[in-house]
Amino acid sequence: MTRVGRYLRLLGVQVRMSLLTTLQYRADFWIECGLTVFWIAATLVPLIVLFELRDTVAGWRWPEALLVVGFFTVLKSVLGGAIQPSLDAVVQHVRNGTLDFILLKPADAQFLVSTAKFSPARVADLVAGLGMLVYAMHIGDIRPSVGGVLAALLLLAGAVGILYSIWILVVSLSFLVVKVDNLTFLFSSIYDAARWPGSIFRGVAAVLLTFVVPLTVMTTYPALALRDVLTAREAATAVFVTAMFIAGGRWVWMRSIGRYTSAGG
Amino acid sequence: MIHVRDLVKHYRVHRRAPGFGAALRSVFSRKFDTVRAVDGVSFEIGEGDRIGFLGPNGAGKTTTLKMLSGLLHPTSGEVTVAGHVPKDRDHELLRAIMLVTGQKQQLLWDLPPSETFELNRAIYDVPRAQFRQTVDELVPLLGLEKLIGTPTRQLSMGERMKCELAAALIHRPKVLFLDEPTIGLDVTMQSTVREFIRGYNRRHRATVILTSHDMDDVTAIAERIIVIDRGKISFDGALDALIEKMQPEKRVRLTFAEPVGEERLAALPGRVLETEPRRALLQVAQADLRRAVASALETLPVADLEVEGAPLEDVLADLFSRTAAERSE
Repeated sequence: MTRVGRYLRLLGVQVRMSLLTTLQYRADFWIECGLTVFWIAATLVPLIVLFELRDTVAGWRWPEALLVVGFFTVLKSVLGGAIQPSLDAVVQHVRNGTLDFILLKPADAQFLVSTAKFSPARVADLVAGLGMLVYAMHIGDIRPSVGGVLAALLLLAGAVGILYSIWILVVSLSFLVVKVDNLTFLFSSIYDAARWPGSIFRGVAAVLLTFVVPLTVMTTYPALALRDVLTAREAATAVFVTAMFIAGGRWVWMRSIGRYTSAGG
Repeated sequence: MIHVRDLVKHYRVHRRAPGFGAALRSVFSRKFDTVRAVDGVSFEIGEGDRIGFLGPNGAGKTTTLKMLSGLLHPTSGEVTVAGHVPKDRDHELLRAIMLVTGQKQQLLWDLPPSETFELNRAIYDVPRAQFRQTVDELVPLLGLEKLIGTPTRQLSMGERMKCELAAALIHRPKVLFLDEPTIGLDVTMQSTVREFIRGYNRRHRATVILTSHDMDDVTAIAERIIVIDRGKISFDGALDALIEKMQPEKRVRLTFAEPVGEERLAALPGRVLETEPRRALLQVAQADLRRAVASALETLPVADLEVEGAPLEDVLADLFSRTAAERSE
């Protein structure tokens, strides 16, 4: 418990540092908030256009599809606000050799690099995502059971774990190759597909988006849980995929640290 | 405190011939060579020792330093620091050591240094009272009163270095690894940093291991020198002993009241290294020193006279060229 307490205190200090940095650059904060609102609108437009033309898409009505967009937006806030800023900084640390300082600290290096930087402006995404979920349930008359809400929350937590692990896997590559910027950009582009319900993808794409880049597990499954239609098989798939990604991410990170040769010298 | 036996670090590096064809071939099939960065190094360092780790570029000194701090894993050999094996990254060991490099910084760029101090306090689990006491000790010693509240990006290079040192010492480490700590600093700042490091060593009996190409750093900080060249130790002993071994001759620096011709200097024992109308520098064997000084005072209009050892730069250049020559034989 003291170990957990220590890491929670450390997390608190790291978040405080990010808030202090944000307060130094007030204009940046407001510009980022504005951009976030713009991107939310850009995310919604294709869906709105599509549902103007049809009542259902691959069996999903507009409010149900909006649930998927809601989870997509919540996860995007976690990605942009808590995962991406820190892990992008790791790439810089590896390039400049300043990762040495982090590796010499008496705390888990993966924890330290993963919590080094937060972007508070992305709270706007979180608020918008939660707003979409509430609005979708309201207009679609979706009344989830307690079990459904709990399952959705667990799946959302798992999705955060998967998203973080994918980012760790990408960042671990920076120990081997010099430029991973293109890879992070590629993943951001692929992640955009998570705003669509998983059932619109067929064949190989459906398998890829469930097991390889498990976007379906991350945004569609929580929406299915809120609708109380998540099957036992889907739940088991979610548990399996989440565990594999979290364990894989940690394993690859530990291997990468062992191979790290440090810059210069 | 530090025990090193037969330490070896080999790297595999990609080698290819020059030219576009070779570059294209290397994409599909690569040839690797083994570089022996550190090749069987052994030494012992005691608590409170101040060691200068010297060697030409690529000699293996930074690689050794990184193995001592656990950043690199040795290919073979034994290393223990304060009873721990560094590559295990034991938290107890990490609490006892610190690394300061003049070329890389750990201060949070957008925030004042006081926030980095606070972050390090949390990471190293330093009790609040001890933290206060350490900061109160470091701030006046390094003259940080006006600096710790200013965002790091607004500080000059020398001011940042002083704050780097303070941030690195918040947890009162017992072993200090210093890699070129005064690089890019002005003369005053360099001497402040050197004096501070010596003082920290005295007050806390901390072991200091320095690598630097600045010989003034080495003479001011280190009492023992380990010279590493092409992965092997070519000298381990006191600074004076190194100078005595390599260049036992003394240098006599003369300043004259009136211009003196070269022919009059030639009559003195020893060899004339430099000459100007009112100045001269002689290199004299230890045995001839008394005679040379007496003769100069007697025959020349000497206004000032200084006797000094050979500069460390010359001694090291001599040592490196001798070891290179021995290897090529």
